[in-house]
Amino acid sequence: MIETVNVTKEYGRDEYGVRELSMKVDKGEFAFLTGPSGAGKSTLLRLLLLQEKPTSGHVIINDRDLSTFTPAEVQAYRRTVGFVFQDFKLIASKTIFENVAFVLRVLGQPIEQQRRRTYQVLKWVGLQHRHNAYPLELSGGEQQRVAIARALVNEPHIMLADEPTGNLDPDLSLEVMNLFRDINASGTTVLVATHDRELIKWVGRRVIQLDHGQLAGSHPAAPSPHREAPGTAGPAT
Amino acid sequence: MTVIGYSFEEAWASLRRSGRMALVSIGTIAIAFVTLGGFLLLSVNVQDVLDRWLEAAEISVYLNESASDADRVAVERFLRERQDVAAVEYVSKERALERFRADFPELADVTGSLTQNPFPSAIEVRLSPGEGAATTAERLARDVASKKGVADVQFDRTWLSRLIGIVASARVAAAVVAGILMLGAAFTVGAVVRLSLYARRDELEIMALVGAPFSYIRGPFVVEGLLLGGVGAAVALVGVRVMYSFAGQWLGSDIGGLAGEGQLRFLGVGEIALMLLAGVLVGAAAGTFASRAAHR
Repeated sequence: MIETVNVTKEYGRDEYGVRELSMKVDKGEFAFLTGPSGAGKSTLLRLLLLQEKPTSGHVIINDRDLSTFTPAEVQAYRRTVGFVFQDFKLIASKTIFENVAFVLRVLGQPIEQQRRRTYQVLKWVGLQHRHNAYPLELSGGEQQRVAIARALVNEPHIMLADEPTGNLDPDLSLEVMNLFRDINASGTTVLVATHDRELIKWVGRRVIQLDHGQLAGSHPAAPSPHREAPGTAGPAT
Repeated sequence: MTVIGYSFEEAWASLRRSGRMALVSIGTIAIAFVTLGGFLLLSVNVQDVLDRWLEAAEISVYLNESASDADRVAVERFLRERQDVAAVEYVSKERALERFRADFPELADVTGSLTQNPFPSAIEVRLSPGEGAATTAERLARDVASKKGVADVQFDRTWLSRLIGIVASARVAAAVVAGILMLGAAFTVGAVVRLSLYARRDELEIMALVGAPFSYIRGPFVVEGLLLGGVGAAVALVGVRVMYSFAGQWLGSDIGGLAGEGQLRFLGVGEIALMLLAGVLVGAAAGTFASRAAHR
């Protein structure tokens, strides 16, 4: 479970990323984080990733306050979190396979396991045939699928995504959202920050609305329309 | 893959990417270590020469013309009873003259025309080698000078002690210079490592976000510094060896005369290992220091 209790992130005098923010995302839930630019979506995700520390308040994951984590615990926690960014953050000098396997490599996993798991997730996002290509040889949608594969390769409990469809056209955005739905279907908690209302409506999940760093509302899931799934099942585990 | 394997693999790839900058860094380290190696080479050879001279150094106790056999025996006994004395040898007036004739045959005319033997009889004392021998010898020389029948005491180690002092001071100065040069080399390694850090900032961000251990994040940079330092020191050793060969050819006869033929030597295994280790440590330390920002 993800929970924030009166979390404030102050960047300067009267400059707030989030302010007195309290919200919850249940274990295994798929929720959207939405709001206009500057609403605090990215700040909240950075706080959840421990890239930043709150000025006050508590960020709680599975009943543990992140501010009490030792550096080793931060590392262990991050291994349970997958992340996807708007700009993909793929390493241009590495192939698709290397980009995904990189996570397992720096976690010291055996080579055979790296290979097997990497092919598994690349196959799941439909890119196993492009494993030798470099990121810049792929379309935006493909690059984001690689980023999702990378986020997924270590079998995270939580998936965070910051405007994952921001650079994609509507069709590719739907493809990516279908991947997130499949990831969620396998039990992973998914929190996606986006300001794309159409997409939110299309996916039909709970919406946490932020405005000026504060909670502006939490709307229950709308009925989900028919989906066009690029994958046929949840991510291979 | 272990963290060591990963670190070496990434460091090697990074060095290949760095290319010219890595070569400049290796060159800077090599210059620092050539200086250090040169000083070391000079130092070990000067030390060897001094050690040989010290081993050969003697105290000559000259006896009065009027000294009796009993006086001589008493002085000899006094010397033999001391633990810091390795050997005592009496050289009579006649033997001293014979030695002189043997050592300087070209002066045969002079010695042949002598109406009386001008050489005094003496007792030659060889000291035991070891730390503090010079101080011991000074005290011994002072003590024996007060004995009955002793005319004069000459101590070869006095000037040797002064020379040792000068060499020790020169060694300290050399160490300071080498230290400054090594500091410069460390800064160059640090600059190369920081460039690598910048080149790999995307990877580092991802590594931090996926919870990669610190050893995986910083390891490649430490190894990169280590490789630069080690290779730089190795290049320097080759340079010092070349310098040694040239110096041997140019100065061989002069130095040979001073130190004894064929007695100059290159750095020993221990000294070579010490230089390589110093290179590796300086490089690794610079890499460690420069990579502090890697997981911030």
